[in-house]
Amino acid sequence: MNSVKSPALGHWKLQRISALAMIPLVMWFIPSLLFSLLGNYADALVWFQSPFNTTGLFLLFITLFFHASLGLQVVIEDYVHNEGLKIASIILIKLLSILLGVLSLLCVLKIYLS
Amino acid sequence: MAEFALPKHSKVVKGIDYPLDTDSTNTRKVNVYRWSPDDDENPRLDSYTIDLDKCGPMVLDALIKIKQEIDSSLTFRRSCREGICGSCSMNIDGTNTLACLKSIEDIEGEINIYPLPHMEVVKDLVPDLSKAYEQLTSIKPWLQSNSNPEEGKSRKQTPNQREKIDGLWECVLCFSCSTSCPSYWWNGDKYLGPAVLLQAYRWIADSRDENTNERLDDLEDSFKLYRCHTIMNCTKTCPKGLNPAKAIGEIKKLQLERK
Amino acid sequence: MSEYEIIDHEHDVVVVGAGGAGLRATLGMVSGGLKTACITKVFPTRSHTVAAQGGIGAALNNMGENDSWQFHMYDTIKGSDWLGDQDAIEYMCKEAIPSVTELENFGVPFSRTDDGEVYQRPFGGHTLDYGKKMARRACAAADRTGHAILHTLYQQCLKHQAEFFVEYIALDLLMDDNGSCVGVLALCMEDGKIHRFRGHQTVLATGGYGRVYFSCTSAHTCTGDGNAMVLRAGLPLQDMEFVQFHPTGVYGAGVLITEGSRGEGGYLTNSEGERFMERYAPTAKDLASRDVVSRSMTIEINEGRGVGPNKDHIFMHLEHIDPATLHMRLPGISETAKIFCGVDVTKEPIPVLPTVHYNMGGIPTNYHGEVVTRKGNDQNAVVSGLMAIGEAACVSVHGANRLGTNSLLDIVVFGRAAAQRALKTVQKGSSHAPLSKSVTDKILARLDKMRHANGDVSVGEIRNSMQNAMQKHAAVFRSNSSMSEGVKKVDTIASSLDGVGIKDRSMIFNTDLVEALELENLMQQAIVTIKSAEQRKESRGAHSHEDFPERDDKEWMKHTIMWLNNKMQTKVDYRDVHLNTLTNEVASVPPAARVY
Repeated sequence: MNSVKSPALGHWKLQRISALAMIPLVMWFIPSLLFSLLGNYADALVWFQSPFNTTGLFLLFITLFFHASLGLQVVIEDYVHNEGLKIASIILIKLLSILLGVLSLLCVLKIYLS
Repeated sequence: MAEFALPKHSKVVKGIDYPLDTDSTNTRKVNVYRWSPDDDENPRLDSYTIDLDKCGPMVLDALIKIKQEIDSSLTFRRSCREGICGSCSMNIDGTNTLACLKSIEDIEGEINIYPLPHMEVVKDLVPDLSKAYEQLTSIKPWLQSNSNPEEGKSRKQTPNQREKIDGLWECVLCFSCSTSCPSYWWNGDKYLGPAVLLQAYRWIADSRDENTNERLDDLEDSFKLYRCHTIMNCTKTCPKGLNPAKAIGEIKKLQLERK
Repeated sequence: MSEYEIIDHEHDVVVVGAGGAGLRATLGMVSGGLKTACITKVFPTRSHTVAAQGGIGAALNNMGENDSWQFHMYDTIKGSDWLGDQDAIEYMCKEAIPSVTELENFGVPFSRTDDGEVYQRPFGGHTLDYGKKMARRACAAADRTGHAILHTLYQQCLKHQAEFFVEYIALDLLMDDNGSCVGVLALCMEDGKIHRFRGHQTVLATGGYGRVYFSCTSAHTCTGDGNAMVLRAGLPLQDMEFVQFHPTGVYGAGVLITEGSRGEGGYLTNSEGERFMERYAPTAKDLASRDVVSRSMTIEINEGRGVGPNKDHIFMHLEHIDPATLHMRLPGISETAKIFCGVDVTKEPIPVLPTVHYNMGGIPTNYHGEVVTRKGNDQNAVVSGLMAIGEAACVSVHGANRLGTNSLLDIVVFGRAAAQRALKTVQKGSSHAPLSKSVTDKILARLDKMRHANGDVSVGEIRNSMQNAMQKHAAVFRSNSSMSEGVKKVDTIASSLDGVGIKDRSMIFNTDLVEALELENLMQQAIVTIKSAEQRKESRGAHSHEDFPERDDKEWMKHTIMWLNNKMQTKVDYRDVHLNTLTNEVASVPPAARVY
């Protein structure tokens, strides 16, 4: 069976895949936060400059903002019933997610390179 | 935008109190939502005290007793009184159910009765279900098959195939589930709601129906189907013990599998 | 009557009622190209067909027993105690096979045999080889067959885009000066507007009037509105004395426990734990026909062998049946027993009592569904423009006692027949003759009077007295003295209707008004029922007369027809029972003693 092309299933599927992807990422990040990053500045810097950790952070932030933008879009669709306002809010959410996502990646990169 | 201010006629005021002059100790107060479009008044909550020793065991018995003996203008739908026609769905003690199947004994304290939530009210406990019925029609809830059975013969279906639609076809269309779903409250005009999606799945799951693909195509829409956020109120409230949430899950699973 | 806004509609056919019969007729008409309006006082799937449980009878022979429609016909005639019209019964039993197959093709979720065929179970009074052993003939969808059929018929109507007018209560038939029916006047409950429907045929599919009794399995909406409209149109009702008591209504609540539960192996016991049906019906036992079982139960109770603290009911046992079978075949009644009497059917018996269930009588029709009346010597004079089907009609296929599963069959077969007849007799899109204003005015005057009724007796009080009087005086067993007392009581109660008062003056969803109109309808049928019963001096089927305990074929093998005038006076006449068959394919069944 093949279906007609519709963004609905894709959206629903990606939201679930990104949620699943977040599970190992968060499970890795939270202990790191507790054990490595809440100590002194120098230790934290060492942690950030590991290529392994930077790659992890890259993946985490990409997934996080992607998932957040999908989720927020659903929330807006649920509650905002004015069509124009709805489209505007969704575009705004997407732009903001990209902006914040790129910003976070740049920060991670900057620390790694510093 | 979501409405934060309440629309007109939303605030329910205290209504008329009908006390009971009796020696009986087995009495109960029944608070019932009353609203009529005839005047411009806000809805009110009338309180009727009834003698449970002289009343049948179900909430519907109490309503009928009130209509028969205290206030004949009280308006509600009812018919079979055995949970199969689906007429008397309403919100009792905070949950949507059929009044004829809800035992008074199961309710502690005063009995509060409101119409099904978030539907237009025609009068008192009678909601306007016409939109929900239209949605039912929209999913083409009839057997679709291109291959005609042999003239004068039944289609064959094994007991196993037949079992797949158990728990689906028994729905009585009371819409308790749809009107308990927050997603249906906010987007009832576009989201089909659990009752109608259960019916959609009833035909998808029927081995005799040959239009599964078209049915799934019609449902693949971010509003019709994917407004279900697995809140599960539908399954929790169903007075017939059916599981619309599971049926919706099955539809989503089929959408995923056929890609 | 300028106060009421009237909206006019013109259709080829107007169907009143959206139960199984109304929907099957509507479906046949719409798919045949007739412009059809289906008017209904409740949303179609809420009609009382939905509550039918056990099955629909048809000799499909899926269980490999060499069943045939001739056996089915014999059983139905015997069940009717030879008051059924054999031509109509032949038609029904023969057409049962294509009609039920058609239902499967429409999508009814029937239970299945291992071969993938429609599952069939035994039912009361259905036998093989002319009574030799019990037949498995009831095509079942678990124990919710009526629900399955009603929903499927509604779905098919949606498919064909049938035009429904939901929550409209029919007020009266529009009868022209020639005594032809030209449509119906209805009140839209949602906004209180009056709708005048014109049709070349008006089909009454308004169901039974079980609510004239206090304890019945019927829904609150079963008020026989069509029957009462027919009486007010100056036409008679037939065989109204025959009211079926279902053996197994739940004690107290009155809700139905299907005969299919005895079909699956359930049995009845008295206070001594005895399976007493073995004494009354040695062959069929608990699956004898309903009048026989109800009478036997009543005798057991009257002779002091009832169960419970007051010895006033009987036990039905299912606990010996495998729980898996109960779950698969009888899920609905397992749930009903739990909810309405707190009984776990796998462990305890269900307390039951004979409960009013079905009206064999109704609007006299031929097997095409056309309403007939007696005009002088013409016993089969067709009333132009008027048809009746389902429980409202008296074809008569059920005679003095209906067999289980034959009601679902009746609605489907004759709904279908009515559609076929209308397709033959109605010219599509032909125009409607003008109708005198006085016809509508007279109906609106009645409505207006009721709407402003300000007497001091409530609808509920009068209804209660009527129901109690009928329960007491037109019960399973009847006698001269009890019935003549009943006639007096019902007459008095009927006259109290003049003092009725309603509180709700609104035009929007005024159920107070609707219940008052329904009460008036019920009352007219109560009068005709008890007076028909009083004048029949014999025992036949559901009419058990203690003073005349035998069937009297010489004097009484005839249909009662009774008119009611607007002063609530009745007039009685009779129609012959059709002992002839429809074709030469089968021989007429001569009257015989009825032993199960």
